Amino acid sequence: MEKKTKAAIIAIVLIVIAWAALAAAKPSKEVMMSKCSPEIQKQIEAEKNSTRKRITVTYNSLGFINYCAFSSSSKNADGASKEVYVGFAGKVYSAKEGPAKFVSQMVNYTYRMLGCGENVFHGAKLTILLTTLTVLIGFILSIFLALGKISKNVIISKLCGAYIFFFRGTPLLIQLFVVYFAIPGVFGFAWKDLFSAPDTEAVYMGAFVAALIAFSLNSAAYCAEIVRAAIQSIDKGQNEAARALGLTYGQTMRKVIIPQSVRRMIPPICNEFIMILKDASLVFAISLMDITTISKNIMTNELSYMVFIPALIIYLIITAFFTFIFNKIEKKLSVYE
Amino acid sequence: MKKKLMATFMAATLVVSMLAGCGSSEKTEQKTPDAEVNESADAGTDNGVSGDKTSNIDMSGVKLINDGVLTVGAEIGYPPFEDYAEDGTTPIGYDVDLAAAIADKLGLDYTFVNTGFDGILAGIGVNYDCVISAVTINPERLENALFSKPYIQNYQSVVVKKGSDAKINSLNDLAGLVVGVQKGTTSDILISDYKNTGTIDCTILANEQILSSFSQLDNGEINAVLCDSQVADGYIAGHPDKYELAYRDNSEPEEFGIAMGKEDTALQTAVNQAMDELKEEGFFEETANYWFGAQDSKKTQE
Repeated sequence: MEKKTKAAIIAIVLIVIAWAALAAAKPSKEVMMSKCSPEIQKQIEAEKNSTRKRITVTYNSLGFINYCAFSSSSKNADGASKEVYVGFAGKVYSAKEGPAKFVSQMVNYTYRMLGCGENVFHGAKLTILLTTLTVLIGFILSIFLALGKISKNVIISKLCGAYIFFFRGTPLLIQLFVVYFAIPGVFGFAWKDLFSAPDTEAVYMGAFVAALIAFSLNSAAYCAEIVRAAIQSIDKGQNEAARALGLTYGQTMRKVIIPQSVRRMIPPICNEFIMILKDASLVFAISLMDITTISKNIMTNELSYMVFIPALIIYLIITAFFTFIFNKIEKKLSVYE
Repeated sequence: MKKKLMATFMAATLVVSMLAGCGSSEKTEQKTPDAEVNESADAGTDNGVSGDKTSNIDMSGVKLINDGVLTVGAEIGYPPFEDYAEDGTTPIGYDVDLAAAIADKLGLDYTFVNTGFDGILAGIGVNYDCVISAVTINPERLENALFSKPYIQNYQSVVVKKGSDAKINSLNDLAGLVVGVQKGTTSDILISDYKNTGTIDCTILANEQILSSFSQLDNGEINAVLCDSQVADGYIAGHPDKYELAYRDNSEPEEFGIAMGKEDTALQTAVNQAMDELKEEGFFEETANYWFGAQDSKKTQE
């Protein structure tokens, strides 16, 4: 075990050093920009003050590799031009065809899918943020729901049961539509007005909050059943013993039952987390762009199926990372069993 | 206990039979429009300028997915070009009329396949024979598909909320605003290009359906919607209290065409011939008048 960890640490340090070295050696933005052909340079100069620019300059810096593209808007045979360059380890390569083209596509697609250069409500950043917050809020809500559902108070129990029935029984997409479109329409407010940021930023925040509310309410219903099952799986005798020792209902729950049941919740909650990670693509319906939506966009715009390679890899990395964390938590909590 | 079981069983049977009832009624409903189509087609030939018109057009080289039926792909949900009627199953709109007229000329029945606009051209030859779905002819699309002659001209239009104080005299005035578009449409391509080239610094919210963009505009989430002029006119005509036209970009007209498979020249020739005949009969003006109102008919194909 000791040796293994040491080897792992050494490997990670080596990777970090190699990464840093390559990142330091990659050509700068200015170098990449100056690589374009004289014709393109001339065109860029010509339309500097024009109200309709035709040349798109894309510069993506992704870790240790650079991507730079100059493309004209028209794809006509006569006016069409696209130049792509990849900067790596101090050199700039033209990425017209072959392996260089493949690398350039991968860099560009990964950059777009990770949502680099955009605000936090884009791409992988959005997916991770939305999923993590949803599971956190949903889990906290679900504890109250689960306790409510097994409560002896009939009204509370029925209310919580009805909540769970409603949110599990209707599709998430429709709940999202209701929260984002119907509720502001009926009550006469706009989600973006909840924020003081300029419109162009607030619209994303508003949509994100709406998505977070819909996802959390939905996830709470699913988690509530997980929590309830975990609580009820603890032997009845424990409850009786605790009560016999003079603990109140609240104390029994807080000090005896819930700590034991948490361990049993971890695997299904991890499942729920992964499900939400993929369900997060539903936010396309309210114009947020997550990994799935961006890869679909790229596919239709560029007619390239290569886009699915980075998409799948990004999803797998995120899932692997969070599964690892959940496993750690589970191990930690099972010390006493 | 037994009674309860019985009750559950009966309830289950009831639900199942209700569902079954639903299914069958849907089927009959689906049949009606077809029947109507056939009837109207017959009526057409009866009034008929001529019954042997179909023979004018050479259909020998045309291979269709279903024999005797022109299968048309469209994203139904883009009024006034294509939308579902109140019954929720019958496609209606300008493009639907066009498909019906062309199918009639070619001596075929027609049927619509509803599909997302994203990647709609990829389904040609697999799921449908052609696409009549307000598709703008542009060089990228010409690389992947054959197009008929253009059947209508279209201009990019900016729609704002009624009473909005946004002054938009050119597309450049969209700078700093949040603009809604439908994903993958020419509006999306155009405004994205403006943004990517650094011409206009605006925020683009792309939706799967233009309907969502108009809902967002109504709710005040976005400042403007950029869409095809006929769509804009249709929405404004339908909800004059909610939306108003802010700007129409007459500088870059676009033309809509019928998209077909890259190798399907036989169908292209046949469709173009049918369209020529329709033009002579004044079909385009009449249909545009009906769907877009009189003022827009000038812009249709002359």
